[in-house]
Amino acid sequence: MRKNVKTHKHGNWLVRILAAFAFIFLGASAEGATTLTTAKVILRDAPSNEATTIRLPYLWDRSHPGKSGVAEFVFDFEIVSLEAEPYGLYAAKIANGYEVILNGKLIERFGTFQWPAQQDSKLPRIIPIGPALQAGHNELRVVLRGDAGRQGGLSPLMLGTMAEVQQAHLNVWFWRSPARLAVAIFSAIVGIMGLSLWLTQWRPTADFVRRRDPLYLYMGLAELCWVFRVTDSIIETPPLPLAWWSVLSSLALGGWACLTTLFCMELIGWPWERWPRLLRGWMSALFIGGFFAAAAAWIYVWPIALTLWYSALGLTFLLFSMVFAWISVVRRKDYASSIFALAIVVNVIVGLVDLYLLRLQPSIVGSSALYFSSVLFGLAASVVVLLRFRAATVKAADLQANMAFQVAQKEQELKQTYAQMADLEKRQARISERSLILREMHDGVGMHLSTAMRQLQSGKATDQEVLHTLGESLDQLKLSIDAMNLPRGDVTALLANLRYRLEPRLRASDIDLQWNVDLIEPIERLDDKAMRQLQFIVYEALSNVMQHAQAISVCIEAARTENGVRLRIIDNGRGFDTSQPWRKGLMSMRDRAAGIGGTLVLQSSPGHTMVEILIA
Amino acid sequence: MWRVFIVEDDPQTREFFARSVQACSQLTLIGGVGTVADACAWLQQNASQTDVVLTDLGLPDGSGLEVIRLVRRLNPGCETLVISMFGDEANVLASIQAGALGYIHKDATPADIAQTILEMKAGASPISPMIARSVLSRFHEVREITAPAPLEHAQGATELIVPEDEANLLSPREQEVLELIARGFSYSEISRLQEISVHTVQSHIKNLYRKLAVHSKNEAVFEATRMGLLSGNK
Repeated sequence: MRKNVKTHKHGNWLVRILAAFAFIFLGASAEGATTLTTAKVILRDAPSNEATTIRLPYLWDRSHPGKSGVAEFVFDFEIVSLEAEPYGLYAAKIANGYEVILNGKLIERFGTFQWPAQQDSKLPRIIPIGPALQAGHNELRVVLRGDAGRQGGLSPLMLGTMAEVQQAHLNVWFWRSPARLAVAIFSAIVGIMGLSLWLTQWRPTADFVRRRDPLYLYMGLAELCWVFRVTDSIIETPPLPLAWWSVLSSLALGGWACLTTLFCMELIGWPWERWPRLLRGWMSALFIGGFFAAAAAWIYVWPIALTLWYSALGLTFLLFSMVFAWISVVRRKDYASSIFALAIVVNVIVGLVDLYLLRLQPSIVGSSALYFSSVLFGLAASVVVLLRFRAATVKAADLQANMAFQVAQKEQELKQTYAQMADLEKRQARISERSLILREMHDGVGMHLSTAMRQLQSGKATDQEVLHTLGESLDQLKLSIDAMNLPRGDVTALLANLRYRLEPRLRASDIDLQWNVDLIEPIERLDDKAMRQLQFIVYEALSNVMQHAQAISVCIEAARTENGVRLRIIDNGRGFDTSQPWRKGLMSMRDRAAGIGGTLVLQSSPGHTMVEILIA
Repeated sequence: MWRVFIVEDDPQTREFFARSVQACSQLTLIGGVGTVADACAWLQQNASQTDVVLTDLGLPDGSGLEVIRLVRRLNPGCETLVISMFGDEANVLASIQAGALGYIHKDATPADIAQTILEMKAGASPISPMIARSVLSRFHEVREITAPAPLEHAQGATELIVPEDEANLLSPREQEVLELIARGFSYSEISRLQEISVHTVQSHIKNLYRKLAVHSKNEAVFEATRMGLLSGNK
């Protein structure tokens, strides 16, 4: 049931708005209606209680500036023939409170006739006239309350059938109520957007301190002030005492003007050094002054204070708008602030026209166009925000691209550095390898060469002995070079190579070689140096067999153990006493084995000598 | 009677090799020079009458590899051995790819030298475990390169490249032989293990060397085609 009623109301609204459009654009008129423009007026509480005849509209605040009071308007009119349809009375303005009495019968009342008043009728009205209207002579009385400082008064009254007066009412009502509500909604959206941006966006600063952008705050608050101001123009029964409500409304106007000014300055970036403090100071002064002026006007009924304040505000805004427009358009040629400057100039012009129409022309039915032109502020502010966002996005994209480029560059540099380091490492490794080889050549080949020289110098050595020394020297040299190319940890390859190098000598010594070498996976922990040591140990062992063992057969065994490898060199020579102190060669072998984490085991008996190298 | 030509810049070494050749009744020395230029000039005239070339690699006016390539071009029947100080794998492998069929150590005995030459002419090429391993890895590389051989952009060059079944250059037997050599087994041990004659083992090696040289040439053509140096069907 409730829902039905509500829907019905909505439907009514829609119909009225549509009808209003139809009326506005199609220009319907109320031909059959009567307009009451002359009345006798009697002022209550006046020294003389005389009635004077006046022509409407009657502007209370013009006729009684700064005073509140009650006036009674008496209309006498004739109705020739009464239509069957219901009649109504239309008043574009009937403020600030009223009673309508027809032929002695009260047909409508709004507000009280005491001060402080609580209600202010601001909207155009249709007053349905019931059976009180009669054919022939009628007397209509309108008792009007006029408040000091408010736009009180009575417009000409239109009397006609409800259909006729509704047509006339609709036009004025549309622009006063729903259109202004639309403006308020738009401003509210812009205002909330502004505040949201202020809360969520940070202005990029050089020192990386996150700062909210005051531009958005000014924009949001200004628009919300404006929402209050616009809404106030359609609220007749405020939720606060009327006087205080009016103070707030005045402050909202002041706040809007001040905040818009500050917004403008943020927008063009405070061109002069002293401006921020001066202007902010002046704006604060204006705003605080506004409070006192409004309080004086509305609470202490001294409207001139508010008029003075309005003048100061208006003058400030006018001057500022001129300076702002000049800076934006002429000096800065900045797109965003020029748009805003345009909005300001349009509003100033509209404001001046309004002032002329509302204050200087004796018309009270006109609606202030300023409410609508103010939408331009909201639009301009939105455009400005969009432009700022776009600029920020472009900047961010640039920054990102720049960063990406820099990162890529750094990566490139890093890669180069890595490559250089790797190269350096490789070179280092080569150098150390080279020095190792050189040292080995010195120790091995050098020693053999010097031995050969001594042998020749002494004259005691046989050619065979010298040849042997030199051959061994060459073998060492070959093995040194081979060791450079051995795969890391590949013991099988190491032994294979040794066999290849020593095979001619073994053959020459008539020693039969048995090859019992398994294919052993490379042992990673045996580095180049360890391989070289291992090569030397095996070489020494074989060398010993060839030189001292008098063997006819030698067996080389290699097998994988759990964690490493086991090498054995077994010969069938004469053997030796392992309990005797070891010779220098054997000591060296043992030390080298220990150096690569291995152990050297010797077993010897005539006909069977085994050298075992265990690398765990 | 094999006719031997020697390219060696050190006069003493050249003299040593010359005497080693002359000492063998089955060999005859037909010339000896010390530079690449002299060798090339001599070969232009006499390559067809030469059976064996012994060449050093480090020559004063260039690399012995040039001599090897020239011999191969002028007379495929003439076989080259590289005179190497140590038989180190890098130099030997490069020589084999250029077309040499083996190497002789500088410290070899005269008998060894003659023996190596005669064995080569009989179908055997010398090899060391380290060279065997290098050859193995070389063939693995080759397989990796030639496996995606039917590339679209190489269409014009397909007839120049070895056919795909030949791209898998190593036969299983050859692979096994190489692996055993790399593990240090002697020819006779291998022939026992594989139940083939020592001669077969040896000839496997020579064949492998030839394949490697042929393949190196094909690979060069393939690379050249890919780089656009040779135009196939354009």
